[in-house]
Amino acid sequence: MASVKLTDVKKVYDNKVTAVHDFNLDIRDKEFIVFVGPSGCGKSTTLRMIAGLEDISGGTVEIDGTVVNDLQPKDRDIAMVFQNYALYPHMTVYDNIAFSLRLKKVPEDEVYERVTHAAQILGITEYLTRKPRALSGGQRQRVAIGRAMVRNAKVFLMDEPLSNLDAKLRNQMRAEIILLRQKLDTTFIYVTHDQTEAMTLGDRIVIMRDGYIEQVGTPQQVFDTPVNLFVAGFIGSPQMNFLQAELEKAGNGYCVNILGVKIPLNDDQNEALIRKKAGSQKIILGVRPEHTTVLFSQTENAIPCKIDVNEMMGSELHLHLSSEHDDKIIVRLPTMDLTPEQRASLAYGNRMYITFPAKAMHLFDPETEKSLIHG
Amino acid sequence: MSESTMKRHMGLRTSRAISNTAIHILLIVISVVWLIPFVCIVLQSFRVEGTGPVGYIIPKQWGLDNYSRLFETDFPRWYLNTFIAALVTAVFQTIIVLCMSYTLSRFRFKMRRPLMRIMLILGMFPGMLSMIILYRVLKDLGMTQANAVPGLILVYIASSGMGYYVSKGFFDTIPMSLDEAARVDGATRAQVLYKIILPLSKPIVIYTILTAFMGPWGDYVFARYISFGTSAGKNVAVGLYDWLNKDQISKNYTMFCSGGVLVAVPVTVLFMCLQRYYVEGVTGGAVKG
Amino acid sequence: MKQYSDLEFLKLSKGQKFLYKLRRFFVSIPLGIAHFFMKLWALLVQGVQALGRELKEIGGTFAHGDWKTKTSFFVMGFGNLARGQILRGILFLLFEIIFIGYMVLSGARWLGMLPTLGTEGPGKVYDEIYDVYVTSYNDNSFQILLYGVLTLFFIVAFIYTWRVNVRQNRMAEKILASGKPLKSGRDDLHSLVDDQFHKTLLALPVTGILIFTVLPIFFMILVAFTNYDGAHNGYTNALFTWVGLDNFNTMLSWDVTGGAGTQSYAATFGEVLIWTLIWAFFATFTNYFLGMFVAMAINKKGIRFKKGWRTILVLTIAIPQFISLLYVSKMFAKNGIINTTLLDLGLITKALPFWEEATWARVTVILINIWIGIPYLMLITTGILMNIPADLYESAKIDGASGWQQYRKITLPYMLFVTGPYLLTSFTGNMNNFNVIYLLTGGAPTNPAASSAAGTVGYTDLLITWLFKITMGAETQYYLASVIGILVFVVVALISLIVYNLLPSIKNEEDFR
Repeated sequence: MASVKLTDVKKVYDNKVTAVHDFNLDIRDKEFIVFVGPSGCGKSTTLRMIAGLEDISGGTVEIDGTVVNDLQPKDRDIAMVFQNYALYPHMTVYDNIAFSLRLKKVPEDEVYERVTHAAQILGITEYLTRKPRALSGGQRQRVAIGRAMVRNAKVFLMDEPLSNLDAKLRNQMRAEIILLRQKLDTTFIYVTHDQTEAMTLGDRIVIMRDGYIEQVGTPQQVFDTPVNLFVAGFIGSPQMNFLQAELEKAGNGYCVNILGVKIPLNDDQNEALIRKKAGSQKIILGVRPEHTTVLFSQTENAIPCKIDVNEMMGSELHLHLSSEHDDKIIVRLPTMDLTPEQRASLAYGNRMYITFPAKAMHLFDPETEKSLIHG
Repeated sequence: MSESTMKRHMGLRTSRAISNTAIHILLIVISVVWLIPFVCIVLQSFRVEGTGPVGYIIPKQWGLDNYSRLFETDFPRWYLNTFIAALVTAVFQTIIVLCMSYTLSRFRFKMRRPLMRIMLILGMFPGMLSMIILYRVLKDLGMTQANAVPGLILVYIASSGMGYYVSKGFFDTIPMSLDEAARVDGATRAQVLYKIILPLSKPIVIYTILTAFMGPWGDYVFARYISFGTSAGKNVAVGLYDWLNKDQISKNYTMFCSGGVLVAVPVTVLFMCLQRYYVEGVTGGAVKG
Repeated sequence: MKQYSDLEFLKLSKGQKFLYKLRRFFVSIPLGIAHFFMKLWALLVQGVQALGRELKEIGGTFAHGDWKTKTSFFVMGFGNLARGQILRGILFLLFEIIFIGYMVLSGARWLGMLPTLGTEGPGKVYDEIYDVYVTSYNDNSFQILLYGVLTLFFIVAFIYTWRVNVRQNRMAEKILASGKPLKSGRDDLHSLVDDQFHKTLLALPVTGILIFTVLPIFFMILVAFTNYDGAHNGYTNALFTWVGLDNFNTMLSWDVTGGAGTQSYAATFGEVLIWTLIWAFFATFTNYFLGMFVAMAINKKGIRFKKGWRTILVLTIAIPQFISLLYVSKMFAKNGIINTTLLDLGLITKALPFWEEATWARVTVILINIWIGIPYLMLITTGILMNIPADLYESAKIDGASGWQQYRKITLPYMLFVTGPYLLTSFTGNMNNFNVIYLLTGGAPTNPAASSAAGTVGYTDLLITWLFKITMGAETQYYLASVIGILVFVVVALISLIVYNLLPSIKNEEDFR
């Protein structure tokens, strides 16, 4: 139960490669924070610096107001769950979970109490006398969590804990981690490359790329108001569609011109652009597949496209389209209301039309890749 | 199945049978060739008639004379010398090798790579060259000739840190995340070593002990230097070697055989018991280089 | 030389590809050597630069440090003591006192005598009381050289410790300025089992290597530049002294007069070296391929008693080599069992000269070495062979590969890749394979042309057994042994360097694992 503060934290490896650039973040007490980003973005390195497993090349890490830069991991009062579980193969499950308590010389009675309690919560009581070798992946993960749980540590670190599990188990464990979080009521720092995990688990998400923080915010914030192209593309599945377009002045406000189709912006967007004194310019227009409507015939403000691929997902179709600019667009089309004729027309090469409301549009500068509206 | 494929099938089977028979015969020949010298040594050690080399293998007269004669020589002393040296070497060499290899596998300190480079380069110098100076220094310290055992032990264990390759290769296969988990769990680096890593390293510890123990039994060079000119300080290799030189061979040849048997039997038995670990170490070591 | 692009290379015929690769191989050797020296030069430059930085930092520390720091430049550990780090301070101070004490009491004297290695040899002194001449022993060249070297080591260690002492002051000032407490002696002791645990672990092994390997090697390199031998042992008979490059000149001169007999030392050395290389080549590769063959034979599907065959071979590893080698050596003797049996069977009419003729002896040691080596290689290769993914063979079979093609295209490349580093160490190990040669032949048969070479040279002598014989023989010409030792090092290092730069599995490794 503690806050964690990172100030200008930096990691430079021996070969002069900088893995993390001036990382600044305030993690509040009892917050669940998720570091997310593609592999090699420095998220694990940052976590390991907090844990004390990597030397900190610059800046400070504070836990509960104390600078811990020079403290050994054991003196930082943290608990950690590793990607490959890191269970001690020669110890039983019970001994694995009890290991940290015994190092702290906790009396055996209390060790028993705490270990069995944790095992009960995680549903691994019947495996306590087994060796990790005899457990399945999901059970091993539970033991690893149990080992971290009994510590009552100030901060709970998790380094891609679900990535070695299969999809079904991953969903199940994700739900359990949410439950666990409610029971433990402590500060969590969670690292993952999977944006779904980040969105479902985090109070706040830290999106990283190449050692830099791209955006910090609640799941809603980063989804609704991505500050740059990277965040916009990284968060959300299927990925946001990007189209080449022009920003044009129209009366008091602006409109977006896509291949001659002009869509006026709404008031909030206009206000943001006016504040930035934006002129006419080329832009990249981002629209999420969920916010795109597919039409079977031409209407006003609809953009003509060609069908490339039609993926049947069950309750909906994922249509892969390409515009006349050859921008690739994915849209989701619920299957329930489709007529047989409409279904038949969804074949390779056929023409379709897409449209979207102004509020669904994200405008990015092609040069800086920054959002023209958010941030 | 048509007749022709049937035939081909049969053909495949018979050709495999022929080649397998050939290999079986070959393996039998190999086994015989490999074992004959040892069978000869054992048989010769029981030969009563004549003490020199003879042109036949099976003794005409059997007996334990050669074994009882051993005890009239310095052989028990040599045996004891070797045994003590082997025992102490096994203990200390294992400790040193494990310290070195564990450190090089687990810690990333500034001098790590230079240290490994330097040891690689040092290893290219013929080791026996050092014996010229070590012999004189140890002699001044009174650890040679009749007192050879302490000197010998010192020579065996002192530089054993350079033989870290095999066990470092083993340690490298234990995931680093185990160390990290233990450190987060509150263990010091030392606790990580004896609570986590050592219990997981039984095979390599046994391998190291075994090779360290067997080394002194086969060492000729260092023992030759250190025991220079005396009989009491010899080890079995030097002692038995001298029994086969021109002046002594006709007198001591059969005794060499019986002495050889007495040396080989315990070492071999120990080795065969721990064979599994040896194989593991050797295989792993070769792959790691 | 023309460099082909990947696509151009693919168009070449098989022969052209082979020639191209061969040319690349030979071009890469001088390149590799050039690369090595360039690297060496870069290291030197870096070293000089680092030294400059050090000096600058030391100067800066003195200029900007407080009085405690400044005093520490002369009284080591003063800063630590003054700032409350008692344990460190005492250790530094103690080291300085010991060092100064040693230098004053004896170190300076040894250093002073190092350039001459002693001036007064043993002589006869007339003893008036007993009316006899007794030998008086004076300077001891061996001790002078040894303690001189030790003193040099000690001075280097002192400079290093002094530097650490200075740096610690700087760090302490910085830490105190930022308002943090310094580490106490208790913290220091605790860190030795925690974050500094590697220092604790390395203390014993590295000390051992320093005293028993580095120091002797350094000493023996110096011996190569003296005339230290049995007749000049430096104390009881005569002093030895520096002779510059004379010994190298002797060893590498083609001059027959003063040579190793009827031929020069250079010729003798060359012969031994070439035999050493031939031996190492055959010893390594015969064992490797035959060992692999035996392993594959045992592994083959349908072979029974797999474990039994392996156990029989492993058994032979267990028996100390000197027993088996000495015994086998006698088996092949003129009147040994092999010759007697063959004569009795009437297969030969005259004993075969296994150890009497050069070529016979050389072939015989290589054959016996196969007997020694196969079990070991069988063990190594068995493990690796089993690791080759089975689907490689399955897909090769479907592609229509025969058994031999599978071996050529899958097994062998895989084995060579994985065991590349092992082959290198095995090759250099065989160059120095003392036991097999010495216990089998002792170097015999003797080479008459090199009859008066130090230690006498035989046709099966390797450099390493020659070296041993020189140090053990009647005239122990230690200086020549040192020269040979240094040359062995040069050869081994050169081979390792070249192979190292060619081996894919080493190149791609993180380090010398």
